[in-house]
Amino acid sequence: MTHAAQFRGVSQVFGDFTAVDDIDLTIPDGKLTTLLGPSGCGKTTSLRMLAGYLAPTHGTISIAGVDSTRTPPEKRDLGMVFQSYALFPHMSVAENVGFGLKMRRVPAAERARRVTESLELVGLAHLSASKPKKLSGGQQQRVALARAIAIRPKLLLLDEPLSNLDARLRIQMRAEIRRIQAETGLAVVLVTHDQDEALEMSDEMVLMKDGRIQQQGAPQEVFPAPANRFVAEFLGYENFLTDPGGELTTIRPEHLWLTVGEQAPSASGGSVVSGVVLDLAYRGVDLLVTVAATDASGARVELLADLRAESAPDLTQGTHVWVHVPATHVVPLTGD
Amino acid sequence: MRTRHPIAASLAVLGYIVMLVPILFVVVTAFTAGSTLRFPPEGFSLRWFEAALTYTPFTSSLVSSLILAVISAVLALALGVPVALAIHRGRLPGKALVEGLFLSPLIVPELVVGLALYQQLMVGFGLDNFQTLLFGHTVLMFPYAVRVTGASLALIDPAVEDAARGLGASAGRTFFSITLPLLRPGLFSAALLSFITSFNNVPLSLLLQSRDFRTLPVVMLDYVQQNYDPIVAAISVLILAATVLVAVIAERTVGFARVFGGINR
Amino acid sequence: MRGRTALLVLPGLAVLLIGFLIPSVAMLFAPPGVSPVEVFDRLGQMLTDPYDQAIVMRTLGLGLIVTVVCIGLGYPIAYLLSRSTSRWAGVLLALAIFPLLLSSVVRTFGWLVVLGSQGAVPQLLLSLGLTDSAPQLLYTPLAIVLGLTQIFLPLAVVASYSALAQVDAGLDEAARGLGANRIRTFWSVVVPLSGPGVVVAATLVFAGAVTAYTTPYLLGGSRQRMLSTQLYTYSSTTIDWAAASATALIMTVLVFAVSGLSGLAARRGATS
Ligand SMILES: Nc1ncnc2c1ncn2[C@@H]1O[C@H](COP(=O)(O)OP(=O)(O)OP(=O)(O)O)[C@@H](O)[C@H]1O
Ligand SMILES: [Mg+2]
Repeated sequence: MTHAAQFRGVSQVFGDFTAVDDIDLTIPDGKLTTLLGPSGCGKTTSLRMLAGYLAPTHGTISIAGVDSTRTPPEKRDLGMVFQSYALFPHMSVAENVGFGLKMRRVPAAERARRVTESLELVGLAHLSASKPKKLSGGQQQRVALARAIAIRPKLLLLDEPLSNLDARLRIQMRAEIRRIQAETGLAVVLVTHDQDEALEMSDEMVLMKDGRIQQQGAPQEVFPAPANRFVAEFLGYENFLTDPGGELTTIRPEHLWLTVGEQAPSASGGSVVSGVVLDLAYRGVDLLVTVAATDASGARVELLADLRAESAPDLTQGTHVWVHVPATHVVPLTGD
Repeated sequence: MRTRHPIAASLAVLGYIVMLVPILFVVVTAFTAGSTLRFPPEGFSLRWFEAALTYTPFTSSLVSSLILAVISAVLALALGVPVALAIHRGRLPGKALVEGLFLSPLIVPELVVGLALYQQLMVGFGLDNFQTLLFGHTVLMFPYAVRVTGASLALIDPAVEDAARGLGASAGRTFFSITLPLLRPGLFSAALLSFITSFNNVPLSLLLQSRDFRTLPVVMLDYVQQNYDPIVAAISVLILAATVLVAVIAERTVGFARVFGGINR
Repeated sequence: MRGRTALLVLPGLAVLLIGFLIPSVAMLFAPPGVSPVEVFDRLGQMLTDPYDQAIVMRTLGLGLIVTVVCIGLGYPIAYLLSRSTSRWAGVLLALAIFPLLLSSVVRTFGWLVVLGSQGAVPQLLLSLGLTDSAPQLLYTPLAIVLGLTQIFLPLAVVASYSALAQVDAGLDEAARGLGANRIRTFWSVVVPLSGPGVVVAATLVFAGAVTAYTTPYLLGGSRQRMLSTQLYTYSSTTIDWAAASATALIMTVLVFAVSGLSGLAARRGATS
């Protein structure tokens, strides 16, 4: 497998603040890779270094196997979609999309053909004469995408491309971007802080925190087996408890179940801890129950159980419950 | 306007009277047929306009004023816009200090600047009065060039420039095909403000005048001091008309209040 | 990158140094052929000589009066315009800004027409029989105050307007809704919030008024000398460099002191 891009020991230091801390990262060719992490973890900074807008303080970045650490952005052949779209307000849609081709001295006829082709790919060929201001957010987004694709880049970079869209459009554009990626076969790097978006769209996901990479892999590998507590929390594992062997483990709320009764039930296929209901939140289909419990190490923990409301036992605040922790769903956490 | 603020409204009316009524009187007087500034005017004629337009000191100093205003406005922009770029886009240590220095001509009294340039550049350094005037007027307009274009530069999303680079445009190409076109309204405002400031300037032009190169306001001041006839009213009306024209152009292009009031509504 | 950024600044900085900074400093302390000691001697004389003192006091006094009048007239204009929803408000605002573009010589000349012995006001007073002979209005402090007010009122309006436009009109309504009457609302909400902006406006007007040349020259003449006309006389008629520099020094210190004080006041107002 060839690499679309590779970071080796890359850091970015602003004054006395290290925004990106010695990362090694390989972007596979022909796939969609997401950079996922909370605000300020260094996603945009990494992307800007890859695009050439920021020189790394340390380390090297290669693109398609060639060391490009010192290459200026205009020589990198990357397509970037900015969070603000950054369309040229004084140019029409077609001029926007054709700008990169013009810079590459593509002859006018060929340019017009490729502009149309790119606009058709995003379904906006009919708006080619409009000015960007006249377009809706979703349409501007597509123009930005067409503009980046028109130059047939080595790599397509998207910085939170969906965060300025409303919820419905966001879901729609996820599929759209996946489709375009599949049709063009481009390597895509997409930055997001939305775990659902990352899980749904990625071939490969890279989780970051405080300028460091926490875990990398396909969603199917990462989701069931988070490497550490940060990744688990970020992916929605709410419960952290020490197992009888003294290891920290985690389990998702929907995998816990509760029973009531005087006698401790048998703990077949897992363990049972006793607790008291602290809080109940009714969500229609679901019932979220917060339970104060004591884990195997004797530490007090708050557990969150996500029950199906119709089959949940009768509970009120203060009810004594047994929390069942099925072993098949318990994920051991290594690292911190 | 109906008002529920009688005191404020009376004060406002008084304010408008003080601001505008003397100008109206100049207009009325310019059309007199008589030869004094007497009010009410004696008859109607255009003779003073003819006189003003054929009076050589006025016409030649008008040309001087225009030359000086155009060249110094161009110089101020040519030198000031790069400074605004450096402040808003570049990596410049001490940005605040640099900006403060370029705005500082606003706070030193113009008469003091004029005296300084007269003493140090003309008397002390032997520059001729046109060169000294160019220095003075250019410097006086730096604040507009740097601040007005800086303000519109601050409104341009830097990502737009990054996008152009990413699409293959060099830094220079990006400046000319992206930044400059987007900056046009700001440049236009700055140019207009600079031009008007230079054209109307009295303190510098007064102290730095020479027999061969005097600006129109200075010549008018001299004339008013020695003669008491309506020719100055006529030239004033012509200046007024030209100023109205400039204001209308500004309104049509960028918006009058935005250019001259610094008001963003 | 840093080197290229510096290249952008250097040409402008060179012109600024030669055309402003160096001459200004040199002039204040070392005019041609005069030592700094002489400038300071002359400065000392001026501050003690009754004739020069009178000029300084007149400049200061008229400057203060003009400032008060300009704010007193300009703030109400700005207030009414900023709270008006009438479509005439835009026109009236433009009319208040327009004089800023018009040559101060032209504007001041208007007062010669209005106040001159054959001008509108004296003739009107005569024809109404209020006086026997045309009263002398030109070359009086009143003429200077009127002239300077005309020149600087637009500035006061614009600066007050910017300050008032930032005070959300919704706040007025909120205060009214909470039971404050119109006058209470004005004094307890609008004035404090726009106060710092008004301080800025007053500073601009004062600094302009004590350094203006055209108006005192045309409307005050040699009877009502001010620092600016005096400075011109020293530097062009009597060619007394030490006196010119000393006058410039007084003017500059005055302007800087007031700007400094108002900067402090504005910061106080913003933090309290
Ligand atoms: N030019 C800069 N100078 C100083 N600090 C910076 C600069 N650019 C970014 N930072 C800091 O570096 C850190 C990482 O920033 P970055 O923009 O990469 O975060 P991010 O992961 O993209 O976050 P978000 O999700 O909020 O966009 C932040 O703390 C930010 O404040
Ligand atoms: Mg970001």
